[in-house]
Amino acid sequence: MMNRTVKRIIWWGVMLLALILYPWLFGIYYTNVFVTFAIFALYAVSYNLLLGFTGLFSFGHAMFFGAGAYATALALAHIEGCPLLVALLFGFLGAAVLALLLTPIVARLAHSAFAMLHLAFSMLMYTLALKLRGITGGEDGIGGFPIPPFHIPGVVSVDMTDPLNFYYFAIAVLGGSLWIAWFLTKTPFGQIIVSVRDNDKRVDYLGFRVPQTKAVIYVLACGFAGIAGSVYAMFQNLISAAALSIAHSFSPIVMTMVGGVASFFGPIWGAAIFAVIEELTTRYTERVQLVEGLILIIVVLFFPGGFMHMFWLVKAKWLGFTKGKGFGVIKEKLFAKRSEKKATEDDS
Amino acid sequence: MNILETKGLYHDFDKLEVLFDVNLKVKRGERHAIIGPNGAGKTTLFNVITGTYKPSRGAVFFKGKDVTGSKPHRMVRLGMGRSFQITSTFSRLTAFQNIRMGVLSRRGIRFNFFRKVDMMENITKETDEILKRINLHGERDMPASTLSYGKHRSLEISMALATDPDVVMLDEPTAGMSKDETRYAIELIRRLTEGKTAVIIEHDMDVVFSLADRITVLHLGEILASGPPDKIRENQAVKDAYLGETEG
Repeated sequence: MMNRTVKRIIWWGVMLLALILYPWLFGIYYTNVFVTFAIFALYAVSYNLLLGFTGLFSFGHAMFFGAGAYATALALAHIEGCPLLVALLFGFLGAAVLALLLTPIVARLAHSAFAMLHLAFSMLMYTLALKLRGITGGEDGIGGFPIPPFHIPGVVSVDMTDPLNFYYFAIAVLGGSLWIAWFLTKTPFGQIIVSVRDNDKRVDYLGFRVPQTKAVIYVLACGFAGIAGSVYAMFQNLISAAALSIAHSFSPIVMTMVGGVASFFGPIWGAAIFAVIEELTTRYTERVQLVEGLILIIVVLFFPGGFMHMFWLVKAKWLGFTKGKGFGVIKEKLFAKRSEKKATEDDS
Repeated sequence: MNILETKGLYHDFDKLEVLFDVNLKVKRGERHAIIGPNGAGKTTLFNVITGTYKPSRGAVFFKGKDVTGSKPHRMVRLGMGRSFQITSTFSRLTAFQNIRMGVLSRRGIRFNFFRKVDMMENITKETDEILKRINLHGERDMPASTLSYGKHRSLEISMALATDPDVVMLDEPTAGMSKDETRYAIELIRRLTEGKTAVIIEHDMDVVFSLADRITVLHLGEILASGPPDKIRENQAVKDAYLGETEG
């Protein structure tokens, strides 16, 4: 027990040190690459809370990322002296409130109806962002808004236009959000959402309310996407309708698929893999998406469990972890009989 | 005192009458079997009682309260458990996690965001105790879908009981089991429903006559007869409609 605690403290210490030293080791360019990766990591994880954990497949997650980004940008552009954390809160609330407005409809849906309705709503949001020029700036978007300093009266005031300072701020916010999301999956509530994914009717028959449960995880997951969007808007100092496009709805799907849908950390790996690929391919070609598409096809065909699945496979083969945790369980997770869904729709 | 009672229950699917003036009476503490040929409306009756469907006419009383049309989660909170004819567990969760869902429900732990569920020691302890009682402790950390059929059925039945209900509704608990598995399952049901009220749909006549205190025969959506096993065995109408066919 003691051993594990010590190990954990060392692990966290190393991680923290690596994050703190990263900008000093790799320079400002790769620091910004890392911030982009971290934003997408949170975005993909927020998506996987719905897909991998609750079994809700959505084609329109970008609208929550966009809602967070626009809310923050609008707050900073229009509210005189809006503090940094308040702008961030606006981002979270922008997405969460939008999600809350949708819950009466979407919490009762599942499968393709859920996916397609999100496609429709996100297209609507995209069109609105393009057409409501007075508010959103149309195709140009909103840019050049002031980035306030991180300010605690009488204690500290840190300039956020400095990329290094912003890196620490972004990593703290995104890392903190990821930790909260991870913790959430470990709570009793986290256990209920995976049960909903496996068999929502049985959840009902064990005394839990399925629509309410779905609504809560939906609002929280969308709120996390909003935080990612909010940091993105401040990082770029620009937000345009592209953040609401279909392509942007697909990126967390692809990252989750490549990283591994059956694991909390899968989407983070997916975001990392895509960050690296983008970094490497842009040196040679502009057709980044061609390479990304190819990788997706390979993963779907040969490693349907994604990176995490491969990781467990290798671990099982070389280190002999064949029983109990890891691969065995994951294999089950992936190939569990789909027929279970029909199981309770019995009739006499 | 009847813990569960239906009064003049009708149900139809698009004008196709499936239940016809069903007056079921279940006494507190008894094991009540519902038998009947295929298509008699047994599972529909279960679905109407447990809240899957709202009856087209009539009422359901549970513990003296009118609960007609109450949703399943409501019925569970009032003290009713249910298992399914076709195994309906959380296939990707382990046996332990499956049972734990029932324990969490009984303790009213639902929207809890501030503690790790693995750290809740009394939940873990209680779940492990149930697993030991149903002989699944060896398979504690196996995903439900990897369990053998008999074990998976045991899990299915036990989940209905993990919420510690007053009345448990078992829909063909021994469906698809071998003779040995059936014998084991009956012992399990007998043990787990001790001191509780159980309503059981069953096809296997050996099971019915060895387990039930009272039997209700459903035929074409109507109650043909209801009474203790000996009376049912001798009932001419039942023989004509049902028993004669199977015993011959």
